[in-house]
Amino acid sequence: MAAAKKEKGDAAPKQIREYDAETMQKIQTLAAALLEEINKGENLHIDIPVRGSSNVTFNEKTKKIELGDKFARRYLFNVAHARRFMQTLLVASYVKKDLLENNLTATLRDLYYAKKHTIPGTKEDTIDEQKESDLAIVDFEVALDTFRERLHLRAEPKGRIAGQMVVTDRVKDKVDTIDLSKMGSGGWAVPSIVEQVEFKDIDAEYVLVAEKNAIFDRLNEDAYWAKQKCLLMTTGGQAARGARRLLKRLSSELNLPIYCLTDADPYGWYIYSTMKYGSMALAHESDRLGSKEMKFLGMSISDIEHYDLRSVTIKAKDVDIKRAEEMKAYDWFKAPAWQREIDKFLDKKIKAEIQSLSSKNLQYISTTYLPEKIKSQDFLP
Amino acid sequence: MAEKDAKAVAPAASQPAGDGQTHDYKEYSVAEFFKKNRQMLGYSGKVRSLTTIVHEYVTNSLDAAEEGGILPDINVEIDNLPDGHVKVVVEDNGIGIPKQFIGNALGKLLSGTKFHHRKQKRGQQGIGAAYATLFSQITTGKPTKAKTSLGDYKIYDCELTIDVKTNEPVIKNMREYSGKFRGLRIEAEFSEVTYNRSEYGVYEYLRRTAIANPHVQITLIEPNKEIVVFPRASKEIPAKTKETLPHPLGISTSDLMDIAQLSKARKISSMLTADFTRISSEKVKEIDAVCGEPKIDFDRAPKNLTWIEAERIVKSFSQIKWIAPETDSLIMIGEQQIEMSLKNILQPEQMKVVCRKPKVFRGGIPFAVEAAIAYGGKSGSWVSTDDNGNPVETKGELLRFANRVPMLFDAGTCATTLAAKDVDWSRYNLKGWENLPVSIFINFVSVYVPYSGAGKLSISGEEEIIEEIRAALMECGRDIAKYLNALDRAKEQEHRRSIFFRYIGEVAECINDLTGTDKALLITKLKKTAEEKTKILLAQGEEEAEGLEEVGAVEEDEGNGKAEE
Repeated sequence: MAAAKKEKGDAAPKQIREYDAETMQKIQTLAAALLEEINKGENLHIDIPVRGSSNVTFNEKTKKIELGDKFARRYLFNVAHARRFMQTLLVASYVKKDLLENNLTATLRDLYYAKKHTIPGTKEDTIDEQKESDLAIVDFEVALDTFRERLHLRAEPKGRIAGQMVVTDRVKDKVDTIDLSKMGSGGWAVPSIVEQVEFKDIDAEYVLVAEKNAIFDRLNEDAYWAKQKCLLMTTGGQAARGARRLLKRLSSELNLPIYCLTDADPYGWYIYSTMKYGSMALAHESDRLGSKEMKFLGMSISDIEHYDLRSVTIKAKDVDIKRAEEMKAYDWFKAPAWQREIDKFLDKKIKAEIQSLSSKNLQYISTTYLPEKIKSQDFLP
Repeated sequence: MAEKDAKAVAPAASQPAGDGQTHDYKEYSVAEFFKKNRQMLGYSGKVRSLTTIVHEYVTNSLDAAEEGGILPDINVEIDNLPDGHVKVVVEDNGIGIPKQFIGNALGKLLSGTKFHHRKQKRGQQGIGAAYATLFSQITTGKPTKAKTSLGDYKIYDCELTIDVKTNEPVIKNMREYSGKFRGLRIEAEFSEVTYNRSEYGVYEYLRRTAIANPHVQITLIEPNKEIVVFPRASKEIPAKTKETLPHPLGISTSDLMDIAQLSKARKISSMLTADFTRISSEKVKEIDAVCGEPKIDFDRAPKNLTWIEAERIVKSFSQIKWIAPETDSLIMIGEQQIEMSLKNILQPEQMKVVCRKPKVFRGGIPFAVEAAIAYGGKSGSWVSTDDNGNPVETKGELLRFANRVPMLFDAGTCATTLAAKDVDWSRYNLKGWENLPVSIFINFVSVYVPYSGAGKLSISGEEEIIEEIRAALMECGRDIAKYLNALDRAKEQEHRRSIFFRYIGEVAECINDLTGTDKALLITKLKKTAEEKTKILLAQGEEEAEGLEEVGAVEEDEGNGKAEE
């Protein structure tokens, strides 16, 4: 349709244009079904796969958190559904009319503001808080069996990378070549959508991803990536979709091993598991976002013992204990090595930050800890 | 109300611990006794006293109309006089009082004929109105003015007082003149009384009287000159109550003492067989046997019967098996009449009337219960009204009647109240009915109303009676529940429709964005579907079937929402 017209003179790779056409087709099919219901005087409905623990399973074989086949039928003429139904259609209309047809991308917040208004003749807003439109977006993604990037929606970008690699990136029709070894102290900011990024010259043996910005800065200053021939990345806390997708591509397209570095506490470990297996909230995207070959380098409770960091540990809080107990029950933490780690944590009730290594000396992490761990392949699965 | 008979109460109250000192019995003038003990007749409290006065006059009016087979028109006027007195005028269109009986009817406490009129009674032309004469006299010193005519163009006009010492009427200024009038007009002044519209006041009393007597038209002129008309709802005059002899199960010791005083029989034994129904000479022997030692001499004259003996005889009545009284002496208001009346006075949105079949209590006394629940309209008592007189805030009310006579006081111990408390109203969607626009009507019908307390404004809480009232209320409740449920459904559907309509515009716009279909056309179609989905479904099955669509709400996301910013 409209998207097809724009193809002429569009320099986007053929693949991306095909994706857009496919997404458009899916939206048209959904709209046609709704129109038919209207004409027949039937209740309008959209089938939405159920997200959340009741419909999420861990596939042992593929090592992925997967979405089950349960779905909820959302109706317009149902008091409990009507508002969310309307919001889902607002998303559909925005994606089709504003984004796909104009070949633009937008943030979740853009969509929120674009579609938020007072319903004429009432005192009610179409959307009160962004959380509502965010949920409607995920509903729409899973209903179409697609993902956010295909809807031209992006999350806030987060994460930085540096190392011996050249990539090309694209802003609409403009193609830029970026040398990741020349990005200064901050590194290259990973975009929220990385589908268009192409990997060129590369001279790295593995990827080291740190949860914390501070660790990236420390290792960048120590020229760790140059000395160790690796790509250095930070996710800045819980990994954004762009960062997770980039890791997945580095792993599957370049076959690079990925080592992960987080604090020695349940929250750090969960960040790792999200990058590796996917998350419950985005179980429908585990395929695209999960780097199942990723390994956990540290820190573990065993590291605290091994590197004699006992004196710089922090007492675990009740929330940490509770989280650990929950995680102990997750199928993707069932590996014996992880169960042992979690048990140790529950037993000792201590946690440690990566920065605790600085108690030895500032460069201990880059000169001793990391090389030792990598050399001895002392990882957790 | 308070149609206590003087002879019965006076000795009972004056008797120290009931030790049989019957010689006290006649030393009081009845008038003198009640002058001192007016609360026994309902003259306690300023509001209640006025209600009692109006009650006495109005019941007399109703009886006088009934006697003549006349549709009663009763006018009541209350006026606050400048000197603080309250003037009460009651005028009816009844049969009137023959000249020679005016004194006895209005100026002598206890005319002495009541036990020859043992019927389902509402009041006697006896102590009630006469006591009002006395009350007027002792609180204001003024005579009561009476005007009456039998409809023979001869009108009598006089002023009455009572000689307290002798309990004899004193008539002054008797005038006879011709004119067109039939009925009785009484005008009297009182002090120590107050008019208001509270649930214990005259207004409420008359309203309830009108509800229980749909054949009556009552006009009330209030002290502020406001005229309130409770219009006649039915032209059907109730059947005349049949006179029957008392049944042994239905009388009290004081009743027996009164009968003994008035009996024409020469022996106690013949009084029992002659003045009661169902007592044969065989039964007298049985009574004698049950009473045991010391033997009561049944051959003595009835007027020599002692209080103690009367007590023992009455006690023996309850231990003997009796043939039940005839049930055809029960005069019900009737389902249709109650319906007309409630419609007339309360204009309810919904009502249900139930007239139960006669049952018996105390092992043989027949009674019947008529009950109704009215919802909405002018049902319930109005706590406040707007400028147009429409209810703004209403409360539920329990309208209690014994043989059509409203009972305004002593509700707490009444069988009707107890029965209403015993109903699980939540089953009928009437939980908290006390705060809803609801009138619950209960009429207890029996020749022998088992009053509890001296005021005769409360029915004794006997199990059979409570159970029967409860059953009647539940029967009414079931019907009202259906209506209320339908109302709830309608409200809910209305609510659902408003939600659906709210989003239709947005949804139509989105579908227009997606498909290019005309938005106005989409809105029309969506609205039509929404209307259909929120129709008030009468068939329960349909409703439930649609309800299924409401299940399967979408589960909320859980886990780390932290990933998305």
